[in-house]
Amino acid sequence: MIAYESQRVARWYIELSLILFCLQVVLGLWLAINYAFTLPQGLIDVFSFATARAIHTNTLVAWMLLGFMGGAYFILPLECKRELFSVKIAYLQLVIFAGTAVTAVVGFLFGWTQGKPLLEIPVPLDILIVVAALLFVANVAMTIFQAKEKSVIQWMLLAGVTFLSVLYLFGIPFFSNLNADYYYWWWVIHLWVEGAWELITAAIVAYVILEVTGVERKVVEKWLYVETGLFLFTGLVGTGHHYYWIGAPDYWLWWGGIFSALEPLPIALMVLDTWMHIKERKNPIVNPLLWTYIMGLALFHFLGAGVFGFIHTLPAVNYYTHGSQITVSHGHLAFFGAYALLNLVVFYFALPKLKGIEKFDDRLGVWGFWTMVISMVFIGLVFGVAGVLQTYLERILDIGYSTAHMSMMFWFKAVLFFGVIFLAGVIMTVYHLFTLKKAGA
Amino acid sequence: MTGKTAKAIFWVGTLSSLIIFLWLTYDFHKQEPKYVKTDKISPQVVAGKKVWHKYNCNDCHTILGFGAYYAPDMTKAYFRLGENNIVSIVMNPEKVYKNSFRKMPNLGVKKEEAVQLVEFLKWVGTIENRHWPPQDEKFVKAFRLRETGAEKLNKADIVMGACGGCHSLENLGRSIAGDFNDIAKTTSFDRATLVKYTLNPQSVRPDSGMPAQNVSPETAALIADFILSLKTGKEVQK
Repeated sequence: MIAYESQRVARWYIELSLILFCLQVVLGLWLAINYAFTLPQGLIDVFSFATARAIHTNTLVAWMLLGFMGGAYFILPLECKRELFSVKIAYLQLVIFAGTAVTAVVGFLFGWTQGKPLLEIPVPLDILIVVAALLFVANVAMTIFQAKEKSVIQWMLLAGVTFLSVLYLFGIPFFSNLNADYYYWWWVIHLWVEGAWELITAAIVAYVILEVTGVERKVVEKWLYVETGLFLFTGLVGTGHHYYWIGAPDYWLWWGGIFSALEPLPIALMVLDTWMHIKERKNPIVNPLLWTYIMGLALFHFLGAGVFGFIHTLPAVNYYTHGSQITVSHGHLAFFGAYALLNLVVFYFALPKLKGIEKFDDRLGVWGFWTMVISMVFIGLVFGVAGVLQTYLERILDIGYSTAHMSMMFWFKAVLFFGVIFLAGVIMTVYHLFTLKKAGA
Repeated sequence: MTGKTAKAIFWVGTLSSLIIFLWLTYDFHKQEPKYVKTDKISPQVVAGKKVWHKYNCNDCHTILGFGAYYAPDMTKAYFRLGENNIVSIVMNPEKVYKNSFRKMPNLGVKKEEAVQLVEFLKWVGTIENRHWPPQDEKFVKAFRLRETGAEKLNKADIVMGACGGCHSLENLGRSIAGDFNDIAKTTSFDRATLVKYTLNPQSVRPDSGMPAQNVSPETAALIADFILSLKTGKEVQK
């Protein structure tokens, strides 16, 4: 049931992405074990927490980027009403990207790292990633340029992926000054998740909503403009909420605090417009699970990224919560709520079509969805409790680091418990997506 | 709302924020020397930063609050631990954390690299970052007062400022190398031996895992008196 032959490349991207998703969560459990128990010295000498964490976060970024790229390749032909500019480039780019990712992970095991959190990939591999990104942006751009009908969604998608690629460059150089190093580190991390990735999310969600609800394009595109405008308005200067404690002028407390306090606004609008469009839909509901995912994305995105971000973004609160398990809690809720669910929306939209299924049997998928969502809420809560405890013991009662952390170990065991449940949800979901079947067959 | 208005919101929102952000970035660099001692970034500091990256320290520790949250923040580590302790911990973590609930991997850091790392952390400690992290401010204050006006500090603060990176005193400090109350009960050293031990532990007990402390003989004497005062079981003199 695909309209264009070149959409098939998306399947490879999506399936590889799902495998990396599983790997990421397995490594996450390993990290939780590191927190919850005392491991033997001989083990951590060869496989340290740092190495496992580098793999955990890099597989996260890799599966999400693969998901974005696969999603873009699936949607672009439909939106541009033509085949992709080049299927060969799409495959070449996949091979380069996947090959680099595998090399990077193996390299981490042998201590080959740039040593910057989340951006551990060493410079030679960075260059390969840049090559893959350039191929991708060029392919997207050429497809759009050659389209007969131009649309806001096309441009927004192109802007998002271009912005994403350009920002990656700021994480590559070596800075001798730690303060400037972290200033630009956030240009990658913050401006990705609160800038470029939001543009891509907004564009993809706009397309999926347009397609499944059948509401008027003009209305959807209007919302898209307003939301992305607000995302960038609040998100760009909002980067300042990371500059409070790095050694930067006082005005960052104001600019960063005020702009980032407004960051939940565009996400709230997204919840509102998703809700309205679903209510005013013209098409019947074919696959209820896809609709559940769309609404789940809107709500969890708002709670995990928006509300939880807001809670600790003001300097007076952030002074105590910065760099604690509260950040960990926010990170998990936000990444899952915004970008894991977005990718799963795309996968549940695209994979049935790629497999020629109109209405799929969703029983296992429903279990997967609720298992993941509920256990992730608990993971967020438990990390949050550990974080409040840490802040209170270490920063208010002035109790030493190890004494404070020993009293947090119960909560790390709880994280491990919910993490195992989360992994079960992930396995159900991934297995369901790999083995989609027609409903009633 | 018309499509045109929506488009205008996008462009005005994006461009205004972008202009503010780029302007602030320009100003950040202009004002940087006020907050960061950019003129003190010596080749040793740069080498130390490379060591920091090479061993991926930042994927367990935070620095400026960024990184992984598995191990203590390193922004003010120089004040908390001092030079010799950092070198000793980095090179022999399996000894230092032998009885700890959480371990640190032995990554085979060479002596030269450990010394460079100290230079880097010493420089990082001078960044004016509004006294963050809050829990390390006491170490920064104690470190500075030890040098300029020890009489203004109470004894417990001086001792914990110097030794709290490894030793504990009830709730204060870290429980890696033992609590001072227990040490006071079991030690057979007299004052002079304690001073000698603090300045160079291996000269008294060759198998000791404790590194030589970068404190003045006066501070070492004060620490010795403090420990001996715990022995007698009377109230700690403030």
